[in-house]
Amino acid sequence: MKVLGVAFALGATAALGLLSGVPYRAESGEHAIIRLAWRARGERVHRCRRPTDAELAKLPQHMRPQEICERGISPYRLRVTLDHRQVVDELVRAGGAQGDRPLFVFHDLPVPPGEHRVAITFERAESEEPDTDHEDDTRETPQRLTLDETVSLAPAAIVLVTYDHDRQRLVLLAGPQGDR
Amino acid sequence: MRRLTTLFQRVAWRGLSRLDAAFNRLYGWRLNPLYRSGALVVALFVVLLVTGVYLLFFYRLGAPYQSVAALTAEPWLGRWIRGLHRYASDAAVIAVLVHALRMFAQGRSWGPRTLAWVTGLILVFVTLICGWTGLVMVWDGPAQVLAQEGARLFDVLPVFAEPISRAFVGERPIPSAFFFLNLFAHIALPIGMGLLVWLHVSRVARPGLLPPRRLMWGAVGLLTLLAVLWPAPLGPEANLFQLPGPAPYDLFYTFWLPLSQALPAPAVWAIGAVISAALLLVPWLASPPLALRPVPSTVDESLCTGCEQCYLDCPYEAIAMIARPGGDEGTRSARIAHVNPALCVSCGICAGSCAPMGVGPPGRTGRDQLSAVRAFVAATRPGARSVVVIACDRGAGGVARGLPISGVHVWPVTCAGNLHTSVIELLVRAGAGGVVVATCPPRDCWNREGPTWLEQRLYHEREAELQERVDRRRIRVVHAARGNRSVGVEAIAELQAAIAELERARAEDGFDVGAACEVEEVRP
Repeated sequence: MKVLGVAFALGATAALGLLSGVPYRAESGEHAIIRLAWRARGERVHRCRRPTDAELAKLPQHMRPQEICERGISPYRLRVTLDHRQVVDELVRAGGAQGDRPLFVFHDLPVPPGEHRVAITFERAESEEPDTDHEDDTRETPQRLTLDETVSLAPAAIVLVTYDHDRQRLVLLAGPQGDR
Repeated sequence: MRRLTTLFQRVAWRGLSRLDAAFNRLYGWRLNPLYRSGALVVALFVVLLVTGVYLLFFYRLGAPYQSVAALTAEPWLGRWIRGLHRYASDAAVIAVLVHALRMFAQGRSWGPRTLAWVTGLILVFVTLICGWTGLVMVWDGPAQVLAQEGARLFDVLPVFAEPISRAFVGERPIPSAFFFLNLFAHIALPIGMGLLVWLHVSRVARPGLLPPRRLMWGAVGLLTLLAVLWPAPLGPEANLFQLPGPAPYDLFYTFWLPLSQALPAPAVWAIGAVISAALLLVPWLASPPLALRPVPSTVDESLCTGCEQCYLDCPYEAIAMIARPGGDEGTRSARIAHVNPALCVSCGICAGSCAPMGVGPPGRTGRDQLSAVRAFVAATRPGARSVVVIACDRGAGGVARGLPISGVHVWPVTCAGNLHTSVIELLVRAGAGGVVVATCPPRDCWNREGPTWLEQRLYHEREAELQERVDRRRIRVVHAARGNRSVGVEAIAELQAAIAELERARAEDGFDVGAACEVEEVRP
């Protein structure tokens, strides 16, 4: 029994070692990724209007405002075509409870390895309010950003499309070495 | 839902009993690691602390992977200390799971034990988080996957102003602040765990925080051997511009990864919430219906001598000594025992520790036990060559059930630990050839300290001791798990052989064990 006990203990310890490093592949590795990831500072909008009589009637006398103002960041529309096929068409809204945080884009587009043509348009959505004022902000992302490039991807490679704040344009990064 | 929980409990109990029995055969109950899984976690926690402090000296926030790779390449200390740190954390997960399963299967998760169950669950959760942060610190391929998956999951929560995922897209190098935060969490969480462990055991008296030395050093030795022979795996360095290739993943901390990656983040949170809620509800789901719940102990103030033994023996600190209501004039003592029903799990240990038989759960006090055993003697009339087996109805009950030996009478009790020694005296003086008390292994007593106190009352004169006049040669105490029937059978056969050599047992007439005991223990 003693020998059996020692053998079992050694076996269980070896099993622990094996289970501590189970070979696993988190991604299939047969594809590549075009990753769109950037942060943009959209147009800061500030809409004000006079409250209606009905709205004022609901409030106590001392709490009735002269005007009601809403602040936020105007949304952008993101369109992506991959090899002339539209793969993304969405409205990117600002984050945060008040909708006043920057805009974030994050998309992983899995593609087979090889050459691909990717065309991206990121443009400010038409304002729905004609009387919108906007505050001047030099850090604001341009109204329209585009990128139209052919990328060559090795298996399991990731190419990053991001926004270069200094040059104010979308750029492709294929590694820590820099632009493609 | 309650029925389902009961079904799970039974299945878990059967499986665990078989495992217990198998491990008892291999290592004996003293070194059975399954019985000391909770204490093993604490011992492994200490190992993690010591090895972690060493690793901290070499970990560099600016070059996490390079520093870990250098440690792994260092053949003398670094390599095996990192391995020991890793394997000890893995072993801790197994020990935690065994411990939780045992508490669930044995129905030790509800009532006054709810606090221990809930804090235990939080400890499991924190342990998994600690493991996660530890694996990410290495910053190899699996670390990258874990970090990105974690970011994906947290990004759906309306908590962070900016998505965390952005940190891992490769737009810029991973900031050192990330590794600092990770390291901080990896160190701060275990400190918080210390507080949780204190809460976890706060309702038990004399918590056994460390396993027996041989078991502890055996476990540490085996893990060290593994660390020396088989260094902890290290995958290729994380590369945010490359999909992670095949790499060694720690199953104990990343078991959830394949499922998580296959599901949308809200679904992962929903599944996690359902599992957590189900586990948190165990104390309510596993508790028997109100009518079937065991009633807490009570104290018969007229019998209490204020000796404090029940107060000392209670494994759950449910008994306090208070001033006798109405003063002590003309009574036995100024103070009496008082049971707090909110803390009492109705284990009945106090019934066995009270010489004058004045405390215990209703129907299970020493006096009740004597009444029951008198009826048992009248019904079975144990002869001079027969053996009475008093078997704990839980773990050791299986040992006695269906014993195929002639001349053996079985008297089941709820816990051998609440057995009053007067019961054994009565059996011997009533003419039984011998008495075998089959208890669960002391390290697996459902009431923690039952067999320990019983043995001390029988052989070491612990208060409420077996009287001198009782012939110890006719008594055996055997510790066996449910599946270790042969242990019980062997003990019975040995006792039968022994009593055959002794003078023939004779039934005494006109004795009253209860009254004798009561009078002897009175303190004026």
